[in-house]
Amino acid sequence: MNRTKGLRGWKARAGIAATAVASLGLALAAVGGAPAGASSSKPTITLATNSWEGSLSNNVVAQYVIEHDLHYTVNLLTIDEIPTWPAMASGKVSAVMEVWGHSPLYAQYVKGNHEVIDAGLEGPDGNIGWYVPTYLLKAHPELATWQGLKKDWKLFVTPQSSPKGEFLDGSPSYVTNDAALVNTLGLNLKVVYAGTEAAQLAQIERIYKAHGAVLFYWYTPQYINALYKFSEITLPPFTAACAKLATTKIDCAYPPYNLYKAMSAQLPKTAPAVASFIKRFHWTSDDQNAVGYDMAVKNMSQTAAAAAFVNSHKALVQSWLSGPDTKTLAPVAGT
Amino acid sequence: MALTIPRRTGLAGLDWRALVRTPWPGLALAGLAMVVGAAISGSAAGFPAHWVPSSQNAFTSLDNWISAHQTSAPIFTDVVTPVGGGLGHAVNAVVDVLTWLGWPGVLALAVFAALAAGTYRTATFAAVVIAGFGLLGLWSYSIATLGLMTVSIAVAVAIGIPLGVAAGFSQVVERVVRPMLDAAQMIPAYVYLLPAVILLGIGNPAGVAVTVIYATPPVVRLTALGIRAVRADVLEAGRSFGSTRWQLLVKVQLPLAVRPILLGINQVIMMALSIVVLASLIGAGGLGDPVLQGLTVQNLGQSLTAGIAIVAMAMLLDRIVSAAGSRVGSAHEARAARSDRWRRPLIGGGALVVLAVAFVSHYGFGVGAFPTNWSFSIESPVNTGAAWLEQHLYHFWSVPVIGGTGNLSSFLTLDILNPITRFLGALPWWLAVFGTAAAGVLAGGVRRGVQLGLCVVGIGLLGVWQDGATTLAQVVVALVLCVLVGFPIGVLAYWWPWLDRALRPVLDTLQTMPAFVYLIPVVVFFSVGNVAGVIASFVYAVPATIRLTILGLKGVRPDIIEAGRAFGSTRLQILRKVELPAARPAMLLAVNQTIMLVLAEVIVAALVGAGGLGYDVVVGLDRDEFGLGLAAGIGILLFGVVFDRLTQGAGEGGLSRGAGRMQMI
Repeated sequence: MNRTKGLRGWKARAGIAATAVASLGLALAAVGGAPAGASSSKPTITLATNSWEGSLSNNVVAQYVIEHDLHYTVNLLTIDEIPTWPAMASGKVSAVMEVWGHSPLYAQYVKGNHEVIDAGLEGPDGNIGWYVPTYLLKAHPELATWQGLKKDWKLFVTPQSSPKGEFLDGSPSYVTNDAALVNTLGLNLKVVYAGTEAAQLAQIERIYKAHGAVLFYWYTPQYINALYKFSEITLPPFTAACAKLATTKIDCAYPPYNLYKAMSAQLPKTAPAVASFIKRFHWTSDDQNAVGYDMAVKNMSQTAAAAAFVNSHKALVQSWLSGPDTKTLAPVAGT
Repeated sequence: MALTIPRRTGLAGLDWRALVRTPWPGLALAGLAMVVGAAISGSAAGFPAHWVPSSQNAFTSLDNWISAHQTSAPIFTDVVTPVGGGLGHAVNAVVDVLTWLGWPGVLALAVFAALAAGTYRTATFAAVVIAGFGLLGLWSYSIATLGLMTVSIAVAVAIGIPLGVAAGFSQVVERVVRPMLDAAQMIPAYVYLLPAVILLGIGNPAGVAVTVIYATPPVVRLTALGIRAVRADVLEAGRSFGSTRWQLLVKVQLPLAVRPILLGINQVIMMALSIVVLASLIGAGGLGDPVLQGLTVQNLGQSLTAGIAIVAMAMLLDRIVSAAGSRVGSAHEARAARSDRWRRPLIGGGALVVLAVAFVSHYGFGVGAFPTNWSFSIESPVNTGAAWLEQHLYHFWSVPVIGGTGNLSSFLTLDILNPITRFLGALPWWLAVFGTAAAGVLAGGVRRGVQLGLCVVGIGLLGVWQDGATTLAQVVVALVLCVLVGFPIGVLAYWWPWLDRALRPVLDTLQTMPAFVYLIPVVVFFSVGNVAGVIASFVYAVPATIRLTILGLKGVRPDIIEAGRAFGSTRLQILRKVELPAARPAMLLAVNQTIMLVLAEVIVAALVGAGGLGYDVVVGLDRDEFGLGLAAGIGILLFGVVFDRLTQGAGEGGLSRGAGRMQMI
């Protein structure tokens, strides 16, 4: 008796499901024809946004110009660095506006199977190095160069690195030689990975606000450099000989990174105007930092920050629409 | 207490059976052996490096082989690639429908679904949540996530229920499927993010695949449990009416197993929504995007807002399914039968109303996405509050007596975690293997002992011994914290029902809030490092500890407690002598589940500087070192198996575990 009622309840449930499916199907049928036709002539452009702020700054400005001057719809896609490359190969990501090194991926996709095109230099030189807050240099001027760390490592001891001094690294996805450098330079430091740039920056900010000591991996261009005063520690100069050493033996500073753009090999066929624009896009660290600062510190919306930049840099933007392509330069091997 | 669990005392009054049933004496014994062994050996510390085969290279060459043959081998061109494309199209279709419905249509659809499954209260909640997506300025992100989740959950259920039925019928299938489920649940999704992208393509196809792998196990487990739980006499009755096996399944077993199956679907929903942010790492978009963007610019408010939307979506889907589930329950049968008369016309009418709303708003008023000028932001109050807390909690002068969180953090690192890590890392491998095996023998017999010993050898062979030690130390400390905090809170909530009620939404939130949201606060309060990792794991796992404690205590038979009262015992005495011993299996289950959740959080711990196996997995994704990532992922799985089998206790394995998962929601 009871069971039959249970079964009827079960059937009622099936009824609900069937009705829901039917109504969704009906709606689907209604949708089917409408929007597909409109977008087929011009493909949607997808730009990859990687995990640092500069990547977003490039993209919001590029998006603004492509939408307003070239009249394509642009979609910004949040995605990690490595998956960006297979995505460009398949055409699901149209382009990425800033690449740091990644010569193995470059060899595989640009030189190897030609599924990705090198779209030329972006403008800013990426500079990676060892940094401390500038206020530390007042009491410890010797921290201007790496020799100062032979004595001053004690300043940086934390519970995490104890009994050594702490060298704070960020995301494992960023290019680093820090563990090798600590060894080859004979410093009493331990490399601690924050795991994400967000965690690293949170740590730096807390220590900075309390005027404490922190030694960390950092880079330019980065919008936060406009907010805090950091000083770079001079490492032994980068040489061609040093670049040839095995990654665990490296004993010199990071090479300068010629930040470059890359795009799907399909883009010049599907959206030639956009492909040309991406090849011409070129600006400076200061430009990028200004846009990043507007968004992150002044809390401006992406569109507002992009519009502010474009309206105050008309000549520059014009050169992206009709100027010459930017130079291409393969990334340094081993990065 | 003889009242609760009558025990037979064995030799010399020592209760051997109890000793075999509980893992603790075994664990203690093994621990002692390890300490002695470490003290006498010294030189043979760690795992011999020359024994480690180049398995990581093998994994990497597999990866390369796939890349090379992707466009030629039929397995890829005829199976994998079309499946990926199909998944992508399915998500796009759902998103298209939701977009076409526009916000009034989606709102009407959600309210209708909630009303059909539950009551007007469910419907009100649905309206608040859907409106909330728009009001918080997250409309299009929410629609994208809803599309991804709908397809993922549908695929997970479509695979999970048949698999569960098969596992419920056949021991052989069960034995084959179980290790696969363990692997799917315990190997971090990070490990297979990149392979999924390479095989299926970025965005929705890979997003669905990863979500399905991670979220399907509970519905398989609970379906199998439900099928098995159908009483033999009921089946016999069905058979005597001449039913075929198929009829028995469809007319008797499945209807009777509906509640555990719905509970399984519930768990699928929770788990699927818990990895929404990971899907954003591979370009699937949705609510994970604002979480990650907030992280990039140190905007806690932005991350938290999106996190709240994810939690709300999980709660909404959960409530609709739970409401549907409770209708099927026997207690509601009479009422359900009565309401069936008006229910069907109402459902048909509701569907028409939804379509009407959509048509009118779409063609009549041209309404689509939620108007952005209606939205407001909670970012700045959140950020202001966080900044205030940061200033007032970290330093040693900020909190009287115990000091600030910074001091707590240094204490835990210097005096607890670092020594344990050093000790474990220096342990001779053979001692660790035999210690674990001995504990395994005590917990579940010789076979289990051998099995667990081999797991530890496996961790060494994978080449992740030292990182394993780092992770193990953190897991142990996080577990101790969870127990120290979770058990007392659980007891208090059992005593005071108001606390129980107040805790429920808090625990729900902690369990579904994406960990990426609290990365920055954890670092701000506890500094980058292993303590931050332990705290992140604690936050994620302690809700389960509390819930299972309450559940265990509530499950104690009232007549036993009454008897205790009759003897004039105080509340504390009853707890200590009656309730806690009687709830022992549930408490063990709480420990078991806590460890599993802590292990699941190892990746998040690595994102705040905890290192260990989680870091290796992250490096695997971030630096394209698939081999290292997979090796560390399997290492985590082996740890999981060891802990799981040790804390399950003998004899009460599969069933009680399933039951615990079942009621954890």
